[in-house]
Amino acid sequence: MRNQKLKTTLLSTVALLVVAVAATLIGPVIAGQDNDEIAEKEAAVHPNKLKTKYPIKHLVVIFNENRSFDHYFGTYPNALNPEGEPLFEPAKNTPRDINNLLSSPALLDSNPNLNAANGAGATNPFRLDRTQANTADQGHAYTPEQKAYDGGKNDLFPLDTGKGTSGGAGAFGTTGQVMGYFDGNTVTAFWNYAQNFAMSDNAWTDDFGPSTPGALNMFAGTTNGAVVPAGLTANTIPDGQGGLTLINDTDPTGDTCSSQTAQVSMTSKNIGDLLNAADIPWGSFMGGFNLQTINNNSTTGCARSSVGQAVGATADYIPHHAWFQYFTSTANLTHARPTSTKAIGYTSVPGTKNVDPANHAYDLEDFTTAVGAGNFPAVSFIKLPAFQDAHPGYSDPLDEQTGVVTLINFLQQQRDWDSTAVIIAYDDSDGWADHAFSPTTHPSFSTTADALNGAGICGVVGTTEPAGVNGMPVHGRCGPGTRTPFVVISPYAKKNYVSHVLITQASIPQFIEDNWLKGERLGGGSFDATTGSIVDMFNFKRADSAELFLDPTFGTVETRKQAKKND
Amino acid sequence: MLLRTIVWFLGAGLMAGAVFAAEPQTLPGENPNPIHLIRRPVEPLSAMARLGRDIFFDTSLSSSGKMACASCHSPDHAYGPPNDGPVVFGGPALADPGARAVPSLTYLERQPDFSIGPDDRENETVTLAQMAEVGQTADRVQKTATQAAQSAANIVPQGGLFWDGRADTLQMQASGPLLDPREMDGGSIEIIAEKLRHAPYARKFATLFGENIFKNANLLVAEATFAVGRYQVEEPSFHSYTSKFDYWLEGKARLGDSEMRGYRLFNDQEKANCAGCHSAQPTRDGLPPLFTDTQYEALAAPRNLTLADTKDPNYFDLGVCGPIRKDVADQTQFCGMFKTPTLRNTAVRRAFFHNGVFQTLQQVMDFYNFRDTNPEKVYPLGVDGKAQKYNDIPVKYHANVDVSDPPFNRHPGETPAMTAQDEADIIAFLKTLNDGYKPEE
Repeated sequence: MRNQKLKTTLLSTVALLVVAVAATLIGPVIAGQDNDEIAEKEAAVHPNKLKTKYPIKHLVVIFNENRSFDHYFGTYPNALNPEGEPLFEPAKNTPRDINNLLSSPALLDSNPNLNAANGAGATNPFRLDRTQANTADQGHAYTPEQKAYDGGKNDLFPLDTGKGTSGGAGAFGTTGQVMGYFDGNTVTAFWNYAQNFAMSDNAWTDDFGPSTPGALNMFAGTTNGAVVPAGLTANTIPDGQGGLTLINDTDPTGDTCSSQTAQVSMTSKNIGDLLNAADIPWGSFMGGFNLQTINNNSTTGCARSSVGQAVGATADYIPHHAWFQYFTSTANLTHARPTSTKAIGYTSVPGTKNVDPANHAYDLEDFTTAVGAGNFPAVSFIKLPAFQDAHPGYSDPLDEQTGVVTLINFLQQQRDWDSTAVIIAYDDSDGWADHAFSPTTHPSFSTTADALNGAGICGVVGTTEPAGVNGMPVHGRCGPGTRTPFVVISPYAKKNYVSHVLITQASIPQFIEDNWLKGERLGGGSFDATTGSIVDMFNFKRADSAELFLDPTFGTVETRKQAKKND
Repeated sequence: MLLRTIVWFLGAGLMAGAVFAAEPQTLPGENPNPIHLIRRPVEPLSAMARLGRDIFFDTSLSSSGKMACASCHSPDHAYGPPNDGPVVFGGPALADPGARAVPSLTYLERQPDFSIGPDDRENETVTLAQMAEVGQTADRVQKTATQAAQSAANIVPQGGLFWDGRADTLQMQASGPLLDPREMDGGSIEIIAEKLRHAPYARKFATLFGENIFKNANLLVAEATFAVGRYQVEEPSFHSYTSKFDYWLEGKARLGDSEMRGYRLFNDQEKANCAGCHSAQPTRDGLPPLFTDTQYEALAAPRNLTLADTKDPNYFDLGVCGPIRKDVADQTQFCGMFKTPTLRNTAVRRAFFHNGVFQTLQQVMDFYNFRDTNPEKVYPLGVDGKAQKYNDIPVKYHANVDVSDPPFNRHPGETPAMTAQDEADIIAFLKTLNDGYKPEE
């Protein structure tokens, strides 16, 4: 443990130097032999040997974009099954006490969004067909989402969030489109995962608002403590205590690929800091992050692009989705490459005292390379390349399905699958309609931004706003916000189970802290301390769920392996 | 450095594969560097597309009961107009002339949204007004066949459907003619919805959307027009990429002498420079060339006095800035701009430019060739005996007309860019862009 102490110290002193080191490293460098020999004894921390509260040694968080719960599971488990589309038939023991449209049929026939205030967009929820996977993007900023939820009446979606970009020649768009939902003929893989593993019908974004706030809450549990570089702009609001809270999307300060006019960084602690301090191998893996890769279409650098099924070529890497880039301690602003495959997940190159320039931030391809080579970090945060991240306008559920299924099929083939859990979660709802409302547990009273319960009000007047990074109540963190899908895939996931425990994006760092860090919390007003736990979706006493290999194009079941009996 | 070298080699290998694959000696007219084109796999039409096909050919949705989408977008004429005139007649008695020439519905499946400057879908907050503002101060790269990639970044209108780009999706496009009183003249959403509820294919809506669909007229018509667009996306004949030129690119066909000369002139920025806008290169993703950069240009085609609207001397069809399109009317720098159409299947057309002023490709080539060197061959002469240049655009917008991209950068008295033989060769090449070529085995 002498070395662990040393590494921890090293990390805190070199964190500021990482940027400079990274800038000088242009290409991958093979670790020097000398260092290897010197430190042969300093073997890398192996995740399988780390002490954990639960039998989970590997957590993989696939953090996708912009879908609400009703939008993906509104009529679960009943699909319309038109001729020629992937068939979905629910298992007989599928729970029926799910908080969706199907369990309250009035929502399908006389929905509150028929509200005349929605004008021509007033409509009941309606099915989106598989051929309509490519839809217009909806409005999903902090204030319009609050207006759409309308104090819990959830009856102004067409008016307040039902607008957006068109999405190209083949896209589907209509007034009232925000009320559209997919079923098991389109999001077939998700419905099949729900049938065989566990999901939540009570998972929320910590705050209202779009991608960047969602990513920060998943990684740090807070959006307070924002810093805007002099001369640049950011979507922040004054927090009422002399600081700033980020409420909408802004690129991270200093990222090679960021906007030159709008940038922001964060000063709170994040889960990466806690993992680093405990020397636990972890990484963020984003499609398009390696700027040296040349795609088949010859694009490279920040402009690397891919073509999806439903939409044309779109950039792989989107800076405002990169949770780790907002923090000095976890950023890899130049997108420096890891020293070697075995260095992936580690602060220092294993067997040496050399700090690895990648600083826990890698390309998605590095994930499959490392895991395939037996180097499976304890905690891995995944962002699929943009065309597969599900964000309407440039991605779609079918490309998302291909990306997710390919990754999960791959993970189930790994030796360590026995001790792996995969979480599929979302950064925001895109503003897609959802009928559920969670009473506001952390209010906000910003005169410029809040609107849930009237101008300048989000929550119950007289209640106290959540603490910011300096411990004082701050504006701009109103929530729980919007309801999103949340699926857990693991041998330890309960089978065909729907959890009703209220959880949020910050439940993800909370689970990591509980499992690996003896329940240590981030502090500084992070929601990890107050949100609900995801453990209801697990049965840690037995690995109950069988492996499930799906077709990446259709999401249909290819093979199902018998559950292992190990109780 | 090893890893990087490997990555570079793989990338370069993919790009250069065509070179390695080439035979040492080639026959005359053969592509020395054949490539592989990626075409959409042919699959059975989805239920949605089959519904769309029913609607596409349904004449009952028009007020005349005689006009369907397919009437103007004739499958036998590359989904363009089947008649000889500049426009097609619609309305209740099929007696009302349309405002513009009917565009082809082919090769729209990859059309990006209308935008000013390159489409930037990951940026979630830019409005058309903001984009136009940027465009007013941005530099513009001259469009030539050799710097298409650079000019693609010009902050000018691009993408969208119709001659003025006012629709982004095929669904939105389909509802235009359906409701236009001079075209199908469908009356109203409610009237069309009621017809759909009783159409022979009505049950298909229920199987795709449930019974509730019939209660919401707006949604029912939106689903119907989406289905039409989906039919266009899935049905291979809308984008078959089966021209002689496609097969030539793949090394499966040889161009004749005139066609080959025409192809060179098409790409020659000192001559026709057609490829400056009608992009002839496959995309980086291996998709076949579209023969349009989807940008907008003010070329100042002569006024077509045979159109009904032009009987009013104060009527000017100015494309992007109106009068049909309304939302960017205040961006007067775009007045007179119309979308560059694909040249695929253009040789089967008999109405060219937005106002159908030309009936033959020969007239079109003469326009490009003589507009600036010998305008009297293109425009009518005024009482002063001089050519009335740009006579379909008000004088205050003449500065919008393209005089920078060859061959439009010439001046009166200079030698025209092309000879008569050049024009004939280019027309021969354009005919290789018609679909339905049968390559030699």
